[in-house]
Amino acid sequence: MPTELIQLLLNGLSVGSMYALFALGYTLVFSVLGVINFSHGAVFTLGAYFTFLLIGGNVGSNGLLAGFQLPFALPFWLALVLAGLGSALVALVIERVAFQPLRQRGADPLLALITSLGAGVILVNLIQLLMGAESHAIPTSSLGNLPAALNIGGAMVRTVQVLLLAIAAALVVALTAWIEGSRSGKALQAVSEDPITAQLLGINSSRMIQVAFGLGGFLAGIAGGLVGLSVSIAGPYFGIGYGLKGLGVLVLGGLGSVPGAVLGGLIIGLAEACVPADFSGYKDAVSYGFLFLMLLIRPQGLLGRALPNKV
Amino acid sequence: MNRRSRQALAALVASGIGLAACSDQVASGPINLSKGVPVGAVLALSGNANLYGQDQKTGLELALASINGTGGIGGRPLALSIEDSGSDEPSANAAFTLLINRGVLALIGPTLSQQAFSADPIAQRRGVPVVAPSNTATGIPEIGSFISRVSAQSSVIAPLSIDKALKRNPAIKRAAVFYAQDDAYSTAETVIFQQALTTKGLKPVTVQRTQLNDQDFQTQISAALQQKPDLIVLSLQGVDGGNMVRQLRELGYRGTIVAGNGMNTPNIYPICQQYCDGLLIAQAYSPELQTPANQTFLAAFKVAQARNANARNLPARAIPPQLLAQAYTALQVIGDVLRRLDQKQPLKTLSVAQARTALMAEILSGTYQTPLGEIRFSKGGEVIQKNFFVAQVRMDPGGKTGRFALLP
Repeated sequence: MPTELIQLLLNGLSVGSMYALFALGYTLVFSVLGVINFSHGAVFTLGAYFTFLLIGGNVGSNGLLAGFQLPFALPFWLALVLAGLGSALVALVIERVAFQPLRQRGADPLLALITSLGAGVILVNLIQLLMGAESHAIPTSSLGNLPAALNIGGAMVRTVQVLLLAIAAALVVALTAWIEGSRSGKALQAVSEDPITAQLLGINSSRMIQVAFGLGGFLAGIAGGLVGLSVSIAGPYFGIGYGLKGLGVLVLGGLGSVPGAVLGGLIIGLAEACVPADFSGYKDAVSYGFLFLMLLIRPQGLLGRALPNKV
Repeated sequence: MNRRSRQALAALVASGIGLAACSDQVASGPINLSKGVPVGAVLALSGNANLYGQDQKTGLELALASINGTGGIGGRPLALSIEDSGSDEPSANAAFTLLINRGVLALIGPTLSQQAFSADPIAQRRGVPVVAPSNTATGIPEIGSFISRVSAQSSVIAPLSIDKALKRNPAIKRAAVFYAQDDAYSTAETVIFQQALTTKGLKPVTVQRTQLNDQDFQTQISAALQQKPDLIVLSLQGVDGGNMVRQLRELGYRGTIVAGNGMNTPNIYPICQQYCDGLLIAQAYSPELQTPANQTFLAAFKVAQARNANARNLPARAIPPQLLAQAYTALQVIGDVLRRLDQKQPLKTLSVAQARTALMAEILSGTYQTPLGEIRFSKGGEVIQKNFFVAQVRMDPGGKTGRFALLP
């Protein structure tokens, strides 16, 4: 395979793995509730900030916590897992205040979309109030002695991007195995099919929805920490851009499909990488144009199920 | 159109007329001096450009303390209202409109050239003087007779760093250029950079376009590195530029990097960390300038830094960045002019509109001793400044702190 082609593939997979990681938690909540959780980007951002603080990062000079530093500094991987857990807790709180009350009143799902957006905006503003608006970075030395970049068949790719891809792949395998092979995974599938019937069958639907939110938040936190390591944390609005792209990934992969989220992310990444260098500033237009065409051909997304028409 | 639609439209038009009438009343009425002499600043304190806005806010606070500590404006304090413009145009427009409606006599800002092209016409239409502290794109003062700037334009500064790079390494033969195509500053500055390169016989071997919100540049970098450049020239803002430098170095680029004014802030240190080391950036401010105005500014900066460091457990910065000095200069100019104007004709005798017009004429007619050195303005509002410099970023071991070291 010529080096240029390998480079192109690596470029696409490198960017696509970030989109895929982001979209994993996004799709999990959709699969259960059938609602886009717009607060996912904010929880993703929070995961990046949690990771930054747990590795001993010093808060910048503009928020209420200016100059704050935890009295300990954890190794990056431990900090990442704890950040995931912290994000999961926040996601559970969001579920409790922004989703559950509406669900209990049988409100239109569109309202949950708005409350999740509101929860996301509040969270982002809270981060700005506490941490300031400036950028923070997870030190490049966090990966220990790993080289900054790898040479694969003459093409260069940053090591952190390879890690992102590997982690996204591992997470999709683990999630799929859990959903398809475990009792609780099957319960989640039942709730996503029909929560009322699932409840009649003895499944605690509310509990399963909380599981989906907690897991989605955990994945968002992990993704935030990893992407923050790769490209720095560009302020409290860090997750917003990924939120928009993640939505495209979700739709392309098939709404609610976990493998579809990863596939969609990688395909959008590859579509962007295929844009010739002279037009690289137009890669968003190209990737969304590609998404548009794909949906004309397959509206349910690549791995989504076509819904039967209800009579 | 049905009856209800007509009623809604009429209400909309009426409220628009009402708002316009209110704002006209503000302009024709007396200046509200109850809390001091009102001046506004519109800064990017959030969003991608927040790195600049934070420095600018510090600069304005220092200037405000200096003005009010030395008698204010005819015994009244200068009352500065700072509004966050985010890093986008609609927010800048809204902040300009809000402050103008509150009756400020002059505006400082907005932070980005991209925002200035959108918000400055509002101030121009309403006859409010604007002193831009950081807009360097071509065409900013040309927006109108009420628009001026203390930030020298790219065409004056940008070529200096290319000259310095070639002087330090005459063997440079292949230049690659990167810029954000959706940002007015970047697109204006890259034209200047590319002209400077071509003048030196270095037609860029590749021009890579990015977008302001991009954070991963693997595709553009690998395409550029295939051309084997030995000089890379960046017209990017702080966050995307910092990420670009880091990724360039991580992907193996070892040659010279020249960065434009968008990366002219120590706030890039946390982003590119140790990889910031060696960046060449032209400067419109030198902390080594031995003038009374600069020494006063440096002393105030040092005291504020020490206070901040003690209060917040933060490392004190030894040298103020250019953006901070320019913001200080912008408010100093407005303060100087208000004092002159108040002596000629007491502010309390003028309407808001009269004061705004007189203020603009005074701004253009004066000469100012500032931290940037002696400056004055052309008739069109362009700053006329004598001295420019080139600095190299030198990061400390560990890559957390660094400095802009001026090159001889």
